[in-house]
Amino acid sequence: MEFKQKLKQTLIRELNLEDIHPEDIQDDAPMFGDGLGLDSLDAVELVVIVQKHFGVEIKDMEEGQTAFQSINALSAFIQERKQQ
Amino acid sequence: MTEKKARSWSSRSIASRWQHRFFYAAIRLGGRRLAYFFTYPVVGYYMLFRPDLRRRTRHYLGRRFPERFGLAAFADSFRLSLSFARVLVDRAIVGILGPDSLDVQFDSYEQIQKLLDQGSGLILMNAHVGCWQASMSSLHMLQRPVHLLIKREPGDVDRHYHEHQKEAPPYNIIDPDNLPASAVEIVGALQRGEIVSVMGDRVFGNDRNRLRVPFLGQEAIFPVGAYKIAAATGAPIAVLFSRKTGPRSYALELAGVIHVKPAEDRHLDSLRPYVLQFVQYLEEYVRNNPYQFYNFHDIWQK
Repeated sequence: MEFKQKLKQTLIRELNLEDIHPEDIQDDAPMFGDGLGLDSLDAVELVVIVQKHFGVEIKDMEEGQTAFQSINALSAFIQERKQQ
Repeated sequence: MTEKKARSWSSRSIASRWQHRFFYAAIRLGGRRLAYFFTYPVVGYYMLFRPDLRRRTRHYLGRRFPERFGLAAFADSFRLSLSFARVLVDRAIVGILGPDSLDVQFDSYEQIQKLLDQGSGLILMNAHVGCWQASMSSLHMLQRPVHLLIKREPGDVDRHYHEHQKEAPPYNIIDPDNLPASAVEIVGALQRGEIVSVMGDRVFGNDRNRLRVPFLGQEAIFPVGAYKIAAATGAPIAVLFSRKTGPRSYALELAGVIHVKPAEDRHLDSLRPYVLQFVQYLEEYVRNNPYQFYNFHDIWQK
């Protein structure tokens, strides 16, 4: 399974995004606000989910800004960190 | 949210910049007594000539003292507003005259320290009671960085106590709207074993993150954010209330500890028992200290 697909499934399951399927999430859509529609509390859970499920720690705000831009950005961030 | 509703949830000071400066000057010239003296005419003016402000006190007082009408209700509004004005004076006093100008009794220090020693960080849950900012100045005893989750409105002229001396804040302020940086800061702080302070009786952010639970006999809106954070990170929640105990003294008291289980079910209703636990502590507080609850928002609105 493509990594992005797995990432989307994990987010849908863990964030309990009702009535949303992986194919509904655009790879380049913003994760907060108008895109996926996540809010500040979802973001807290997102940080923990990335740690728990992918073993990647987001250490500072700059990394967070980069990683949480979109599914594309988060996928690239996780894969890059796992290779290090 | 409509504009009218948005205004009703505003936390901006009702006073103008010169009115704040007048009280700061009174504190510098005559100390607490002079500033307290001036609270009588100011509160009297607001109660007599600003019925909109008097009405804002009735959201809470009407539920706390449902049997009181007419003059008795007016007296309650005056008393609550006077008490609030003096808390604002006390907060400015801490900033202008220094933290030693107020005695803060913090007996639960050891219990809080034990919670911190568990290594999962600590969520300190306050409410709009007593003078939480002045009381927070005593948290330096814990020797852990404190992060304050606070949404400050643009143009608010009301100063935080540390701003009187133009000093760096003794705590790090996290703006919950600054996404996703705020989330990284919150999780990072708790994982480093630090303290994140939140208000348990003030709703902000997305409509999804709130629950209606009974408070003083009617369903009221309470935020669930802190419980969600606790479920995600494993941090315990210490409910800490500030209480004015004398003209120059406060107590910072641990009402209870809430342990939120890791989220299995993410529906908001799974957080209801924890919100109820907090509201039970808050209700006990307002029963014992009826004129020290300063949440003037209509949290009971339909």
